[in-house]
Amino acid sequence: MTQNARALRPLLLVAVPATFLFVFFVLPNGFLLVAGFLKSDAQMLTDEWTLENYDFLLGKPLYRAALLRTFVVGALVGVLVVVLAYPMAFFLARTTSKWKGPLIALALTPLLASVVVRTYGWWVLLNREGALNDLLRALGLTTGPLVMLPSVGAIVIGLTHSLLPFGVLTILSALNGINPNLERAALSLGASRTRTFLNVTLPMSASGVAGGFLLAFALAISAYATPTILGGPATETMATLIYKFMVSLMDWSIGSALGTLLILSSMALIAIGTMLGARRGTV
Amino acid sequence: MRRRHIPWAMLRGIVVLLYLFILVPIIITVSVSFNSVNQSKFPPIGFSLRWWGDALAARWLQPLAFSIELGLLAAVVSMLLGMPLAFALVRYRFPGREALTTLALGPLALPALVTGIGLLQFIQAAGFGFLFGFPTLLIGHVLICLPFSVRTTAISLRAMPANLELAALSLGATPSAVLREITLPLVKSGVFAGGVFAFIHSFTDYSISLFLARPGTQPITITILSFLEYGFAPTLAAVAALTLVVPLVLIAVVQRVFRIGDFLYAENARG
Repeated sequence: MTQNARALRPLLLVAVPATFLFVFFVLPNGFLLVAGFLKSDAQMLTDEWTLENYDFLLGKPLYRAALLRTFVVGALVGVLVVVLAYPMAFFLARTTSKWKGPLIALALTPLLASVVVRTYGWWVLLNREGALNDLLRALGLTTGPLVMLPSVGAIVIGLTHSLLPFGVLTILSALNGINPNLERAALSLGASRTRTFLNVTLPMSASGVAGGFLLAFALAISAYATPTILGGPATETMATLIYKFMVSLMDWSIGSALGTLLILSSMALIAIGTMLGARRGTV
Repeated sequence: MRRRHIPWAMLRGIVVLLYLFILVPIIITVSVSFNSVNQSKFPPIGFSLRWWGDALAARWLQPLAFSIELGLLAAVVSMLLGMPLAFALVRYRFPGREALTTLALGPLALPALVTGIGLLQFIQAAGFGFLFGFPTLLIGHVLICLPFSVRTTAISLRAMPANLELAALSLGATPSAVLREITLPLVKSGVFAGGVFAFIHSFTDYSISLFLARPGTQPITITILSFLEYGFAPTLAAVAALTLVVPLVLIAVVQRVFRIGDFLYAENARG
Protein backbone atom coordinates (compact mmCIF):
# COMPACT_ATOMS: atom_id res chain seq x y z
CA MET A 1 0.00 0.00 0.00
CA THR A 2 1.36 3.44 -0.85
CA GLN A 3 1.77 6.09 1.82
CA ASN A 4 -1.07 8.14 0.34
CA ALA A 5 -3.57 5.31 0.41
CA ARG A 6 -2.71 4.66 4.06
CA ALA A 7 -3.37 8.30 4.96
CA LEU A 8 -6.69 8.18 3.12
CA ARG A 9 -7.97 5.11 4.98
CA PRO A 10 -9.27 6.90 8.14
CA LEU A 11 -10.84 9.61 5.96
CA LEU A 12 -12.77 6.97 4.02
CA LEU A 13 -13.91 5.37 7.27
CA VAL A 14 -15.18 8.56 8.85
CA ALA A 15 -16.58 10.20 5.71
CA VAL A 16 -20.18 9.00 6.02
CA PRO A 17 -20.61 9.20 9.84
CA ALA A 18 -18.89 12.60 9.99
CA THR A 19 -21.11 13.95 7.22
CA PHE A 20 -24.18 12.61 9.02
CA LEU A 21 -23.13 14.31 12.27
CA PHE A 22 -22.31 17.54 10.47
CA VAL A 23 -25.58 17.75 8.54
CA PHE A 24 -27.97 16.54 11.24
CA PHE A 25 -26.24 17.68 14.43
CA VAL A 26 -23.87 20.60 13.79
CA LEU A 27 -25.98 22.44 11.21
CA PRO A 28 -29.31 22.14 13.12
CA ASN A 29 -27.71 23.34 16.35
CA GLY A 30 -26.04 26.15 14.42
CA PHE A 31 -29.37 27.04 12.85
CA LEU A 32 -30.92 27.18 16.31
CA LEU A 33 -28.23 29.65 17.48
CA VAL A 34 -29.07 31.87 14.51
CA ALA A 35 -32.86 31.52 14.94
CA GLY A 36 -32.55 32.90 18.48
CA PHE A 37 -31.39 36.19 16.94
CA LEU A 38 -34.16 36.37 14.32
CA LYS A 39 -37.43 38.22 14.57
CA SER A 40 -40.61 36.16 14.51
CA ASP A 41 -43.58 37.44 12.61
CA ALA A 42 -47.01 35.77 12.45
CA GLN A 43 -45.47 32.59 13.89
CA MET A 44 -42.83 32.44 11.13
CA LEU A 45 -39.12 33.17 11.33
CA THR A 46 -38.17 36.27 9.33
CA ASP A 47 -34.67 37.23 8.20
CA GLU A 48 -34.52 40.31 10.38
CA TRP A 49 -31.83 40.30 13.10
CA THR A 50 -32.83 41.25 16.64
CA LEU A 51 -31.85 40.96 20.30
CA GLU A 52 -35.50 41.19 21.34
CA ASN A 53 -35.85 37.48 22.12
CA TYR A 54 -33.11 37.54 24.75
CA ASP A 55 -34.28 40.91 25.99
CA PHE A 56 -37.77 39.43 26.42
CA LEU A 57 -36.55 36.33 28.28
CA LEU A 58 -34.06 38.05 30.54
CA GLY A 59 -36.17 41.18 31.10
CA LYS A 60 -39.46 39.74 32.34
CA PRO A 61 -39.40 38.73 36.03
CA LEU A 62 -41.60 35.70 35.24
CA TYR A 63 -39.06 34.22 32.82
CA ARG A 64 -36.05 35.29 34.84
CA ALA A 65 -37.57 33.41 37.77
CA ALA A 66 -38.03 30.31 35.60
CA LEU A 67 -34.38 30.44 34.46
CA LEU A 68 -33.19 30.86 38.03
CA ARG A 69 -35.50 28.06 39.21
CA THR A 70 -34.05 25.75 36.54
CA PHE A 71 -30.52 26.28 37.81
CA VAL A 72 -31.48 25.98 41.47
CA VAL A 73 -33.25 22.69 40.69
CA GLY A 74 -30.23 21.52 38.65
CA ALA A 75 -27.77 22.33 41.45
CA LEU A 76 -29.94 20.72 44.15
CA VAL A 77 -30.43 17.59 42.04
CA GLY A 78 -26.68 17.46 41.37
CA VAL A 79 -25.88 17.62 45.09
CA LEU A 80 -28.55 15.07 46.06
CA VAL A 81 -27.52 12.65 43.31
CA VAL A 82 -23.89 12.72 44.45
CA VAL A 83 -24.75 12.44 48.16
CA LEU A 84 -27.04 9.43 47.56
CA ALA A 85 -24.90 7.82 44.86
CA TYR A 86 -21.66 7.89 46.87
CA PRO A 87 -22.59 5.36 49.59
CA MET A 88 -24.13 3.14 46.96
CA ALA A 89 -21.10 3.26 44.67
CA PHE A 90 -18.75 2.79 47.62
CA PHE A 91 -20.68 -0.28 48.74
CA LEU A 92 -20.76 -1.71 45.21
CA ALA A 93 -17.04 -1.07 44.71
CA ARG A 94 -15.96 -2.70 47.99
CA THR A 95 -18.46 -5.47 48.62
CA THR A 96 -17.10 -8.99 48.45
CA SER A 97 -20.63 -10.41 48.09
CA LYS A 98 -21.16 -12.98 45.36
CA TRP A 99 -24.21 -10.88 44.41
CA LYS A 100 -22.01 -7.94 43.40
CA GLY A 101 -22.83 -8.27 39.68
CA PRO A 102 -26.61 -8.56 40.13
CA LEU A 103 -26.54 -5.72 42.70
CA ILE A 104 -24.81 -3.41 40.21
CA ALA A 105 -27.37 -4.44 37.58
CA LEU A 106 -30.22 -3.78 40.03
CA ALA A 107 -28.89 -0.29 40.79
CA LEU A 108 -29.01 0.44 37.06
CA THR A 109 -32.44 -1.10 36.28
CA PRO A 110 -34.17 2.30 36.40
CA LEU A 111 -32.30 3.07 33.17
CA LEU A 112 -34.48 0.43 31.48
CA ALA A 113 -37.64 2.31 32.41
CA SER A 114 -38.59 5.49 30.64
CA VAL A 115 -38.51 8.62 32.81
CA VAL A 116 -42.24 8.83 32.20
CA VAL A 117 -42.75 5.44 33.93
CA ARG A 118 -40.54 6.36 36.88
CA THR A 119 -42.12 9.76 37.46
CA TYR A 120 -45.65 8.32 37.35
CA GLY A 121 -44.86 6.41 40.57
CA TRP A 122 -43.90 9.65 42.32
CA TRP A 123 -47.17 11.24 41.24
CA VAL A 124 -49.14 8.31 42.72
CA LEU A 125 -47.17 8.68 45.95
CA LEU A 126 -47.34 12.47 46.31
CA ASN A 127 -50.68 13.73 44.96
CA ARG A 128 -53.52 15.04 47.16
CA GLU A 129 -55.28 11.68 47.28
CA GLY A 130 -51.97 9.85 47.06
CA ALA A 131 -50.37 7.06 49.05
CA LEU A 132 -48.34 9.34 51.32
CA ASN A 133 -51.36 11.43 52.32
CA ASP A 134 -53.37 8.25 52.93
CA LEU A 135 -50.58 6.94 55.13
CA LEU A 136 -50.25 10.19 57.11
CA ARG A 137 -54.00 10.31 57.67
CA ALA A 138 -54.14 6.65 58.72
CA LEU A 139 -51.39 7.33 61.24
CA GLY A 140 -53.34 10.34 62.50
CA LEU A 141 -50.43 12.68 61.77
CA THR A 142 -52.42 15.06 59.57
CA THR A 143 -56.06 16.05 59.39
CA GLY A 144 -56.28 17.57 55.91
CA PRO A 145 -54.26 16.45 52.89
CA LEU A 146 -50.78 17.95 52.50
CA VAL A 147 -50.32 19.64 49.14
CA MET A 148 -47.06 18.19 47.85
CA LEU A 149 -47.88 18.56 44.15
CA PRO A 150 -47.19 20.56 42.10
CA SER A 151 -43.99 21.76 43.72
CA VAL A 152 -40.32 22.39 43.11
CA GLY A 153 -39.54 19.89 45.88
CA ALA A 154 -41.39 17.13 44.05
CA ILE A 155 -39.52 17.97 40.83
CA VAL A 156 -36.19 17.78 42.69
CA ILE A 157 -37.10 14.38 44.20
CA GLY A 158 -38.32 13.00 40.87
CA LEU A 159 -35.20 14.16 39.01
CA THR A 160 -32.85 12.90 41.74
CA HIS A 161 -34.53 9.52 41.42
CA SER A 162 -34.22 9.32 37.66
CA LEU A 163 -30.61 10.57 37.52
CA LEU A 164 -29.23 8.55 40.45
CA PRO A 165 -27.93 5.66 38.25
CA PHE A 166 -25.70 8.12 36.35
CA GLY A 167 -24.19 9.28 39.63
CA VAL A 168 -23.60 5.69 40.74
CA LEU A 169 -21.87 4.84 37.44
CA THR A 170 -19.53 7.86 37.48
CA ILE A 171 -18.52 7.49 41.13
CA LEU A 172 -18.16 3.70 40.84
CA SER A 173 -15.79 4.19 37.94
CA ALA A 174 -13.70 6.65 39.99
CA LEU A 175 -13.59 4.27 42.98
CA ASN A 176 -12.59 1.37 40.74
CA GLY A 177 -9.71 3.46 39.45
CA ILE A 178 -8.12 3.82 42.92
CA ASN A 179 -5.13 1.59 43.54
CA PRO A 180 -6.18 -0.55 46.56
CA ASN A 181 -2.57 -0.59 47.77
CA LEU A 182 -2.83 3.09 48.67
CA GLU A 183 -5.60 2.35 51.16
CA ARG A 184 -3.73 -0.68 52.49
CA ALA A 185 -0.61 1.47 52.93
CA ALA A 186 -2.54 4.10 54.90
CA LEU A 187 -4.08 1.40 57.12
CA SER A 188 -0.78 -0.35 57.73
CA LEU A 189 0.84 2.98 58.67
CA GLY A 190 -1.69 3.24 61.48
CA ALA A 191 -4.46 5.41 60.02
CA SER A 192 -7.96 4.49 61.17
CA ARG A 193 -10.54 3.37 58.60
CA THR A 194 -12.30 6.74 58.88
CA ARG A 195 -9.02 8.61 58.43
CA THR A 196 -8.11 6.42 55.45
CA PHE A 197 -11.47 7.10 53.87
CA LEU A 198 -11.31 10.87 54.45
CA ASN A 199 -7.64 11.33 53.50
CA VAL A 200 -7.18 8.75 50.75
CA THR A 201 -10.39 7.36 49.28
CA LEU A 202 -12.55 10.48 49.22
CA PRO A 203 -9.97 12.84 47.64
CA MET A 204 -9.02 10.20 45.08
CA SER A 205 -12.65 9.75 44.03
CA ALA A 206 -13.29 13.51 43.86
CA SER A 207 -13.14 13.44 40.05
CA GLY A 208 -16.08 11.01 40.04
CA VAL A 209 -18.03 13.17 42.47
CA ALA A 210 -17.47 16.28 40.35
CA GLY A 211 -18.34 14.35 37.18
CA GLY A 212 -21.52 12.90 38.70
CA PHE A 213 -22.61 16.31 39.99
CA LEU A 214 -22.10 18.05 36.65
CA LEU A 215 -23.73 15.22 34.65
CA ALA A 216 -26.82 15.24 36.89
CA PHE A 217 -26.89 19.06 36.80
CA ALA A 218 -26.72 19.14 32.99
CA LEU A 219 -29.39 16.45 32.55
CA ALA A 220 -31.66 18.04 35.17
CA ILE A 221 -31.78 21.51 33.59
CA SER A 222 -32.93 20.08 30.24
CA ALA A 223 -35.49 17.63 31.69
CA TYR A 224 -39.02 18.09 30.41
CA ALA A 225 -41.12 15.10 31.58
CA THR A 226 -40.48 15.40 35.33
CA PRO A 227 -41.30 19.14 35.66
CA THR A 228 -44.39 18.54 33.52
CA ILE A 229 -45.71 15.63 35.58
CA LEU A 230 -44.73 16.81 39.07
CA GLY A 231 -44.84 20.57 38.51
CA GLY A 232 -47.39 23.12 37.40
CA PRO A 233 -47.77 26.64 36.02
CA ALA A 234 -45.99 28.08 39.06
CA THR A 235 -42.97 25.81 38.66
CA GLU A 236 -42.06 26.39 34.99
CA THR A 237 -38.49 25.44 34.06
CA MET A 238 -36.52 26.15 30.89
CA ALA A 239 -37.63 22.90 29.22
CA THR A 240 -41.34 23.38 29.96
CA LEU A 241 -41.07 27.00 28.77
CA ILE A 242 -39.43 25.85 25.54
CA TYR A 243 -42.36 23.50 24.95
CA LYS A 244 -44.84 26.28 25.69
CA PHE A 245 -43.22 28.70 23.25
CA MET A 246 -42.54 26.14 20.53
CA VAL A 247 -45.81 24.21 20.57
CA SER A 248 -48.54 26.26 22.28
CA LEU A 249 -47.45 29.75 21.23
CA MET A 250 -45.66 28.72 18.02
CA ASP A 251 -42.97 31.30 18.73
CA TRP A 252 -39.89 29.61 17.32
CA SER A 253 -37.50 32.50 17.89
CA ILE A 254 -38.10 32.64 21.64
CA GLY A 255 -37.99 28.83 21.73
CA SER A 256 -34.64 28.92 19.93
CA ALA A 257 -33.27 31.59 22.25
CA LEU A 258 -34.22 29.43 25.24
CA GLY A 259 -32.68 26.39 23.54
CA THR A 260 -29.49 28.38 23.00
CA LEU A 261 -29.39 29.27 26.69
CA LEU A 262 -29.72 25.55 27.53
CA ILE A 263 -26.93 24.58 25.11
CA LEU A 264 -24.63 27.29 26.49
CA SER A 265 -25.38 26.15 30.06
CA SER A 266 -24.56 22.52 29.20
CA MET A 267 -21.33 23.60 27.49
CA ALA A 268 -20.39 25.76 30.47
CA LEU A 269 -20.94 22.79 32.79
CA ILE A 270 -18.78 20.56 30.55
CA ALA A 271 -16.07 23.25 30.50
CA ILE A 272 -16.14 23.57 34.29
CA GLY A 273 -15.91 19.78 34.52
CA THR A 274 -12.89 19.67 32.23
CA MET A 275 -11.17 22.39 34.28
CA LEU A 276 -11.85 20.51 37.51
CA GLY A 277 -10.53 17.31 35.93
CA ALA A 278 -13.94 15.63 36.30
CA ARG A 279 -14.46 12.24 34.71
CA ARG A 280 -16.22 12.55 31.44
CA GLY A 281 -17.04 10.40 28.51
CA THR A 282 -14.19 9.56 26.17
CA VAL A 283 -14.32 7.26 23.22
CA MET B 1 -9.95 -7.88 54.68
CA ARG B 2 -12.28 -7.97 57.67
CA ARG B 3 -15.43 -6.02 57.05
CA ARG B 4 -17.69 -7.22 59.84
CA HIS B 5 -17.63 -4.02 61.81
CA ILE B 6 -20.10 -1.30 62.61
CA PRO B 7 -19.54 1.30 59.84
CA TRP B 8 -19.86 -1.40 57.17
CA ALA B 9 -23.13 -2.66 58.71
CA MET B 10 -24.43 0.94 58.73
CA LEU B 11 -23.43 1.39 55.11
CA ARG B 12 -25.35 -1.77 54.24
CA GLY B 13 -28.43 -0.37 55.97
CA ILE B 14 -28.16 2.88 54.00
CA VAL B 15 -27.69 0.98 50.75
CA VAL B 16 -30.84 -1.09 51.41
CA LEU B 17 -32.80 2.17 51.86
CA LEU B 18 -31.31 3.53 48.64
CA TYR B 19 -32.39 0.42 46.73
CA LEU B 20 -35.91 0.95 48.10
CA PHE B 21 -35.78 4.58 46.94
CA ILE B 22 -34.72 3.42 43.46
CA LEU B 23 -37.23 0.60 43.07
CA VAL B 24 -40.36 1.69 44.96
CA PRO B 25 -41.68 4.25 42.41
CA ILE B 26 -41.37 1.65 39.64
CA ILE B 27 -43.12 -1.00 41.77
CA ILE B 28 -45.88 1.53 42.56
CA THR B 29 -46.50 2.29 38.88
CA VAL B 30 -46.80 -1.41 38.10
CA SER B 31 -49.09 -2.23 41.06
CA VAL B 32 -51.38 0.77 40.40
CA SER B 33 -52.34 -0.87 37.10
CA PHE B 34 -54.08 -3.70 39.01
CA ASN B 35 -56.59 -1.39 40.75
CA SER B 36 -60.22 -2.49 40.55
CA VAL B 37 -61.34 1.17 40.68
CA ASN B 38 -60.64 3.82 38.06
CA GLN B 39 -58.22 5.62 40.37
CA SER B 40 -54.45 5.46 40.60
CA LYS B 41 -54.45 4.21 44.17
CA PHE B 42 -51.54 2.69 46.02
CA PRO B 43 -51.82 0.18 47.59
CA PRO B 44 -54.32 -0.86 44.87
CA ILE B 45 -57.99 -1.18 45.87
CA GLY B 46 -59.06 -4.72 45.00
CA PHE B 47 -57.57 -6.49 42.02
CA SER B 48 -58.54 -6.48 38.37
CA LEU B 49 -56.98 -6.92 34.98
CA ARG B 50 -59.39 -4.61 33.17
CA TRP B 51 -56.84 -1.77 32.76
CA TRP B 52 -54.46 -4.28 31.24
CA GLY B 53 -57.24 -5.22 28.85
CA ASP B 54 -57.60 -1.54 27.95
CA ALA B 55 -53.84 -1.18 27.58
CA LEU B 56 -53.77 -3.94 24.97
CA ALA B 57 -55.96 -1.87 22.61
CA ALA B 58 -54.68 -0.71 19.23
CA ARG B 59 -54.30 2.92 20.30
CA TRP B 60 -51.57 1.86 22.74
CA LEU B 61 -50.13 -1.12 20.88
CA GLN B 62 -49.62 0.90 17.71
CA PRO B 63 -47.23 3.48 19.31
CA LEU B 64 -45.59 0.64 21.24
CA ALA B 65 -44.90 -1.25 18.02
CA PHE B 66 -43.75 2.02 16.47
CA SER B 67 -41.23 2.55 19.30
CA ILE B 68 -39.85 -0.97 18.88
CA GLU B 69 -39.51 -0.50 15.12
CA LEU B 70 -37.88 2.91 15.53
CA GLY B 71 -35.50 1.62 18.21
CA LEU B 72 -34.42 -1.40 16.14
CA LEU B 73 -33.77 0.67 13.03
CA ALA B 74 -32.01 3.42 14.98
CA ALA B 75 -29.80 0.81 16.68
CA VAL B 76 -28.86 -0.85 13.37
CA VAL B 77 -28.17 2.42 11.53
CA SER B 78 -26.20 3.87 14.46
CA MET B 79 -24.06 0.70 14.55
CA LEU B 80 -23.41 0.92 10.81
CA LEU B 81 -22.30 4.55 11.22
CA GLY B 82 -20.59 4.08 14.58
CA MET B 83 -18.40 1.06 13.80
CA PRO B 84 -16.24 2.64 11.07
CA LEU B 85 -16.10 5.84 13.11
CA ALA B 86 -14.88 4.02 16.24
CA PHE B 87 -12.41 2.00 14.14
CA ALA B 88 -10.87 5.16 12.69
CA LEU B 89 -10.75 6.92 16.08
CA VAL B 90 -9.06 3.99 17.83
CA ARG B 91 -6.69 2.69 15.13
CA TYR B 92 -5.56 5.84 13.31
CA ARG B 93 -4.06 9.19 14.14
CA PHE B 94 -5.29 11.85 11.74
CA PRO B 95 -5.91 15.61 11.76
CA GLY B 96 -9.24 16.50 13.34
CA ARG B 97 -9.37 13.29 15.36
CA GLU B 98 -9.91 15.10 18.67
CA ALA B 99 -12.68 17.27 17.23
CA LEU B 100 -14.38 14.24 15.71
CA THR B 101 -14.25 12.40 19.07
CA THR B 102 -16.02 15.32 20.75
CA LEU B 103 -18.51 15.48 17.90
CA ALA B 104 -19.29 11.75 18.10
CA LEU B 105 -20.21 12.10 21.79
CA GLY B 106 -21.89 15.47 21.21
CA PRO B 107 -25.49 14.23 20.96
CA LEU B 108 -25.11 12.85 24.49
CA ALA B 109 -23.47 16.00 25.86
CA LEU B 110 -25.93 18.56 24.53
CA PRO B 111 -29.61 18.45 25.53
CA ALA B 112 -31.48 16.14 23.13
CA LEU B 113 -34.59 18.27 23.53
CA VAL B 114 -32.78 21.21 21.95
CA THR B 115 -31.25 19.02 19.23
CA GLY B 116 -34.85 18.07 18.41
CA ILE B 117 -35.85 21.71 17.99
CA GLY B 118 -32.78 22.38 15.88
CA LEU B 119 -33.59 19.42 13.60
CA LEU B 120 -37.22 20.52 13.30
CA GLN B 121 -36.31 24.06 12.26
CA PHE B 122 -33.38 23.05 10.09
CA ILE B 123 -35.35 20.49 8.09
CA GLN B 124 -38.20 22.97 7.70
CA ALA B 125 -35.87 25.78 6.58
CA ALA B 126 -33.97 23.49 4.19
CA GLY B 127 -37.26 22.71 2.46
CA PHE B 128 -37.11 19.02 3.36
CA GLY B 129 -40.57 19.10 4.97
CA PHE B 130 -41.40 15.78 3.30
CA LEU B 131 -38.96 14.16 5.75
CA PHE B 132 -41.18 14.98 8.75
CA GLY B 133 -42.59 11.97 10.52
CA PHE B 134 -40.70 8.70 10.52
CA PRO B 135 -37.53 9.79 8.62
CA THR B 136 -36.91 12.79 10.90
CA LEU B 137 -37.56 10.73 14.04
CA LEU B 138 -35.15 8.07 12.77
CA ILE B 139 -32.46 10.71 12.13
CA GLY B 140 -32.94 12.06 15.66
CA HIS B 141 -32.82 8.62 17.26
CA VAL B 142 -29.72 7.59 15.27
CA LEU B 143 -28.06 10.77 16.57
CA ILE B 144 -28.76 10.00 20.24
CA CYS B 145 -27.77 6.31 19.76
CA LEU B 146 -24.50 7.06 17.98
CA PRO B 147 -22.45 7.84 21.13
CA PHE B 148 -23.37 4.40 22.54
CA SER B 149 -22.36 2.48 19.42
CA VAL B 150 -19.11 4.42 19.00
CA ARG B 151 -18.18 3.95 22.65
CA THR B 152 -18.89 0.23 22.98
CA THR B 153 -17.15 -0.54 19.68
CA ALA B 154 -14.15 1.54 20.76
CA ILE B 155 -14.00 -0.33 24.07
CA SER B 156 -13.91 -3.74 22.37
CA LEU B 157 -11.35 -2.56 19.81
CA ARG B 158 -9.09 -1.38 22.62
CA ALA B 159 -9.65 -4.57 24.59
CA MET B 160 -8.43 -6.84 21.79
CA PRO B 161 -4.69 -7.40 21.51
CA ALA B 162 -3.62 -5.21 18.56
CA ASN B 163 -0.78 -7.49 17.57
CA LEU B 164 -3.27 -10.18 16.54
CA GLU B 165 -3.98 -8.05 13.49
CA LEU B 166 -0.26 -7.45 12.88
CA ALA B 167 0.42 -11.15 13.21
CA ALA B 168 -2.22 -11.99 10.61
CA LEU B 169 -0.87 -9.31 8.28
CA SER B 170 2.70 -10.54 8.64
CA LEU B 171 1.53 -14.06 7.84
CA GLY B 172 0.30 -12.76 4.52
CA ALA B 173 -3.39 -12.07 5.11
CA THR B 174 -4.84 -9.17 3.14
CA PRO B 175 -6.19 -6.20 5.19
CA SER B 176 -9.76 -7.09 4.27
CA ALA B 177 -9.21 -10.71 5.33
CA VAL B 178 -7.81 -9.47 8.67
CA LEU B 179 -10.92 -7.35 9.15
CA ARG B 180 -13.22 -10.25 8.25
CA GLU B 181 -11.39 -13.07 10.04
CA ILE B 182 -9.84 -11.35 13.07
CA THR B 183 -11.19 -7.91 13.93
CA LEU B 184 -14.92 -8.31 13.31
CA PRO B 185 -15.29 -11.66 15.13
CA LEU B 186 -13.41 -10.24 18.14
CA VAL B 187 -15.46 -7.04 18.43
CA LYS B 188 -18.73 -8.81 17.64
CA SER B 189 -20.05 -8.92 21.20
CA GLY B 190 -19.07 -5.29 21.84
CA VAL B 191 -20.90 -4.23 18.73
CA PHE B 192 -23.91 -6.26 19.80
CA ALA B 193 -23.87 -4.76 23.31
CA GLY B 194 -23.68 -1.29 21.78
CA GLY B 195 -26.72 -2.12 19.68
CA VAL B 196 -28.65 -3.28 22.77
CA PHE B 197 -27.77 -0.08 24.68
CA ALA B 198 -28.71 2.00 21.65
CA PHE B 199 -32.08 0.27 21.34
CA ILE B 200 -32.90 0.75 25.03
CA HIS B 201 -31.81 4.38 24.92
CA SER B 202 -33.99 5.02 21.90
CA PHE B 203 -36.93 3.05 23.33
CA THR B 204 -36.97 4.91 26.66
CA ASP B 205 -36.20 8.37 25.26
CA TYR B 206 -38.80 11.10 25.01
CA SER B 207 -36.69 14.24 24.67
CA ILE B 208 -35.52 13.95 21.06
CA SER B 209 -39.03 12.87 19.96
CA LEU B 210 -40.88 15.64 21.80
CA PHE B 211 -40.78 18.09 18.91
CA LEU B 212 -40.36 15.58 16.08
CA ALA B 213 -43.31 13.22 16.68
CA ARG B 214 -46.42 13.60 14.54
CA PRO B 215 -49.84 12.00 14.96
CA GLY B 216 -49.50 8.49 13.57
CA THR B 217 -45.73 8.49 14.00
CA GLN B 218 -45.55 8.74 17.76
CA PRO B 219 -43.26 6.76 20.07
CA ILE B 220 -45.03 5.28 23.12
CA THR B 221 -43.30 7.63 25.61
CA ILE B 222 -44.76 10.66 23.80
CA THR B 223 -48.23 9.04 23.70
CA ILE B 224 -48.14 8.41 27.46
CA LEU B 225 -46.85 11.93 28.11
CA SER B 226 -49.64 13.52 26.08
CA PHE B 227 -52.33 11.42 27.81
CA LEU B 228 -50.97 12.31 31.26
CA GLU B 229 -52.31 15.83 30.70
CA TYR B 230 -55.82 14.41 31.03
CA GLY B 231 -55.13 12.65 34.31
CA PHE B 232 -53.45 9.62 35.77
CA ALA B 233 -55.78 6.76 34.90
CA PRO B 234 -54.75 3.19 35.83
CA THR B 235 -54.81 2.35 32.11
CA LEU B 236 -51.77 4.61 31.71
CA ALA B 237 -50.05 2.75 34.55
CA ALA B 238 -50.71 -0.52 32.71
CA VAL B 239 -49.33 0.95 29.48
CA ALA B 240 -46.28 2.29 31.36
CA ALA B 241 -45.72 -1.16 32.90
CA LEU B 242 -46.05 -2.68 29.44
CA THR B 243 -43.20 -0.48 28.18
CA LEU B 244 -41.02 -1.94 30.97
CA VAL B 245 -41.54 -5.44 29.62
CA VAL B 246 -39.76 -4.76 26.31
CA PRO B 247 -36.29 -3.84 27.64
CA LEU B 248 -36.51 -6.42 30.45
CA VAL B 249 -37.24 -9.26 28.01
CA LEU B 250 -34.48 -7.99 25.74
CA ILE B 251 -31.94 -7.97 28.58
CA ALA B 252 -33.07 -11.43 29.76
CA VAL B 253 -32.59 -12.85 26.25
CA VAL B 254 -29.28 -11.08 25.69
CA GLN B 255 -27.92 -12.18 29.09
CA ARG B 256 -28.03 -15.76 27.81
CA VAL B 257 -25.72 -14.85 24.95
CA PHE B 258 -23.20 -12.76 26.86
CA ARG B 259 -22.94 -10.86 30.11
CA ILE B 260 -24.04 -7.34 29.37
CA GLY B 261 -22.82 -6.33 32.81
CA ASP B 262 -19.25 -6.86 31.58
CA PHE B 263 -19.75 -4.04 29.13
CA LEU B 264 -21.45 -1.66 31.54
CA TYR B 265 -18.64 -2.43 33.89
CA ALA B 266 -15.88 -2.11 31.32
CA GLU B 267 -17.43 1.12 30.18
CA ASN B 268 -17.52 2.72 33.58
CA ALA B 269 -14.22 1.23 34.70
CA ARG B 270 -12.52 3.10 31.89
CA GLY B 271 -14.08 6.37 32.96
